[in-house]
Amino acid sequence: MGPPDSPYAGGVFFLSIHFPTDYPFKPPKIAFTTKIYHPNINANGNICLDILKDQWSPALTISKVLLSICSLLTDANPDDPLVPEIAHIYKTDRAKYEATAREWTKKYAV
Amino acid sequence: MEIDGNTLIFIVIILFLFLSSPGGDGVSSQYEFNQLRSLKSQWSFEYDSFQNMTFNSNFQNVTGFKLSYQDVLSDSNINATFPLPSKDYDHWEQNQNYAVLPDEIINKVKENIWTDSDRSSDTNVFPSNIPGTLLGEIDLVSNDKFEQIPMPISKFFEPPTEFSDTTPPSGDTYMHNWPLYGEFHNVTFEVGEISIQITHKDTVSDRLSQSNGKLFNSQADKWKVLSLRIDFSDKNENEKHFMTTNAIYDVQRGRILLMTQSAKFHSLLAIPHYMGLQYQNEDEKMFNSLKKLVKEYWTASNFVESLTMTDLLELYDNAKFKCEYIGFLQLEPWNKYTPDQLKMIDDELNWPLGRPANLSSLPPLKLKSGILYSPDCGIELNLNNVKGKRYELQMRSIRNHLLLGIGLFAAQIYLLLCQMQHTNTPSRVNKISFYCFSMINLVDGSLATLYFIAASVLPQLYLPLVLSSFACFILASIFETRYLISVYSSQFNERNVSIFTLLRGNSNDSENNRATNATDNFITPDEASISGTIYGRLLFMLICFTLLTLSSTSWPRNIRMVFEYVLIFIFNSYWIPQIFRNVIKGTQGSRQRRSDGSVSQQRQDEMPLLWKFIIGTTIIRTLPVAYVFTYSSNVFRHHKDVKFVIILCLWLLFQISILYLQSILGARWFLPRMAIPEGYSYHRAMLSKELLEHGVSSNFTVDCSICMSEIAIYVDDVPETHDRDIQSFMVTPCGHIFHTHCLENWMSYKLQCPVCRSPLPPL
Repeated sequence: MGPPDSPYAGGVFFLSIHFPTDYPFKPPKIAFTTKIYHPNINANGNICLDILKDQWSPALTISKVLLSICSLLTDANPDDPLVPEIAHIYKTDRAKYEATAREWTKKYAV
Repeated sequence: MEIDGNTLIFIVIILFLFLSSPGGDGVSSQYEFNQLRSLKSQWSFEYDSFQNMTFNSNFQNVTGFKLSYQDVLSDSNINATFPLPSKDYDHWEQNQNYAVLPDEIINKVKENIWTDSDRSSDTNVFPSNIPGTLLGEIDLVSNDKFEQIPMPISKFFEPPTEFSDTTPPSGDTYMHNWPLYGEFHNVTFEVGEISIQITHKDTVSDRLSQSNGKLFNSQADKWKVLSLRIDFSDKNENEKHFMTTNAIYDVQRGRILLMTQSAKFHSLLAIPHYMGLQYQNEDEKMFNSLKKLVKEYWTASNFVESLTMTDLLELYDNAKFKCEYIGFLQLEPWNKYTPDQLKMIDDELNWPLGRPANLSSLPPLKLKSGILYSPDCGIELNLNNVKGKRYELQMRSIRNHLLLGIGLFAAQIYLLLCQMQHTNTPSRVNKISFYCFSMINLVDGSLATLYFIAASVLPQLYLPLVLSSFACFILASIFETRYLISVYSSQFNERNVSIFTLLRGNSNDSENNRATNATDNFITPDEASISGTIYGRLLFMLICFTLLTLSSTSWPRNIRMVFEYVLIFIFNSYWIPQIFRNVIKGTQGSRQRRSDGSVSQQRQDEMPLLWKFIIGTTIIRTLPVAYVFTYSSNVFRHHKDVKFVIILCLWLLFQISILYLQSILGARWFLPRMAIPEGYSYHRAMLSKELLEHGVSSNFTVDCSICMSEIAIYVDDVPETHDRDIQSFMVTPCGHIFHTHCLENWMSYKLQCPVCRSPLPPL
């Protein structure tokens, strides 16, 4: 579910979670299967989030990771973007970004 | 690939160039063709005069024999032209009036070398086959006493001066006029070493008819044709001489006559006269029989017709850069055998069927005495104590040694497997020194390469050498490198951490914080990339090292010996890195463990290397060195140096004893207690009030935040928990509790607390 105070509100987003064999010492591979318009998530659904990469800790649980992803949806991090075009729009024209995100949510996630 | 017209033309041109290049005789220009024609006509002309020669006639126009020693003595500026006006060509006597040898040498040969006169020759028995390599001493008798006989080189040997030349010049060049004369034409050392490699030449191949070798010697019971390669040098190998030459072996009397052959010395045709230096009554008979032998050799090898450009250049080079030598050698008789026994020994050596030949007691081939004289340089050399094993026995013993070596490799593989079994967890592998095994691996890898190179050089030992090389390769590249990879990956997170911090094992100082932060952004690479790095690095080291070793064989002996000693010493210090590693990891000794009274520490403090492995590896690696340095008759012909072996053994013993003391007294026993702050111990008992912070449950368990399952905790002030294993969990300095295997696993990725991300001291 998209967070209520974000342009993704009302959308249902599906994710795939892949556990590597040496989990929990290696981070799980998490990707969006639903299309989403977000500066840190690309067209393939890959998520740019530090705790899924070098900041992984074995004490992190899946629910904590999902919570982090939710907060990423609310507060995108345009300074470390995966899709620079969206990050640019996010920074310069916030209204346009929110409109497009809402439109995509309606189109793909409802 | 598609072939278009242009490519096809290109290929055809290349093929044409290949196929039209010089044929069998190597001639590629009109000039060379004429050179070769001159050489052939020179030889055939001299052979014609040889055929007319009888026992009583002198040499006429044979290159190198135109002047006798007396001719030079009476007129030192004489030119070697044929015919000399006042020379007697119709007689031959064994003295300096006729021969190129001075009387002094002839008498020496008669009295000291080929001494046994005809009457005793019946009782002496000599082996009929004498292949082998004989080693001994050579000393200089004189290099300025005798006159030098001028031996000119025909001018047609010289390379063309201009590209358009088609006919080689005629006439002779005298070596004294040659600018570089003298540099290679003297022997200046007093005492040196000589090696004579004897091979039999029972068959000759005629290069023109492409036939395989055919037997030519119809008097094989009397004469054998040998091919010798003689190397001699001074003890330090600063001055080296070598020559390859044909020789005649007198089977009945054990005499060897060798005469080098070059553009200025056609000694083949002189053999019958010079072999007859000693025989009084049989002279003429022997001359004829040897003349027959030379004729047979000449026709069987198709001597003149099969001369090529390569032969021409070789003859020219030998003439220019080397002295000609005539050598008289006398073999020690094998009188304890009868001729029948000798024949059986020969058969058994060639086709081992288990005949009762008792090969192990076969005496070495030994020269009783020998002399080398150079008529054109006036050098006289004496041979002393030259002996060596029969070639077949030599090969056999090398083969046995190689098989023993394979046994050692197998033992080493077994020991390594035990060791790998022993250290099967990341924390144990972590205590192994990477450099210790790198050194061992480098030695094995270079051995494999050297064996392989040797296999391509020595075809007779191909199979055992390749087997050894393979065993070595398996050991080095599969087992040892696998182990190195696991050691490397377990120690990966220690990169960027200074040795001092590791030694302290303490996280509370700022240095460690900085260091760990630096590794923060570093993701542990996967196994594939680690093994890629390690294989690459080892291979690079290996190639560099092998090249260095190979090039070192050509260095002068002094430097080579220093290099060898230093190298052996360094490569036998392989336990030193492990001692350092132990110090860094700071394991406790067994005595301290016992005095602690608790079961704790056992696992963490066990020595990382098995004693079996340490002792076994040391023995396996010292044995070959000890063998090579202590047995003077070893197969590698290495010199004997017991002192060095003793020092080396003491050095290894010293290393092992330090390792042993480390296991008893603790790894840091030799460091003052003040210098080393107490390292952090992850296995410690908790206090119940500490546990309160972790939300402890009623039976004193907490959840491991890595695997989410329960940990039973040993609490110091709660007696009912004292049956719990203190080794099963670890407490971080920041107070978080994990299962031992969970945290150890994680620490092999990153030295950071999973819960609060504060840095962790290394294990």
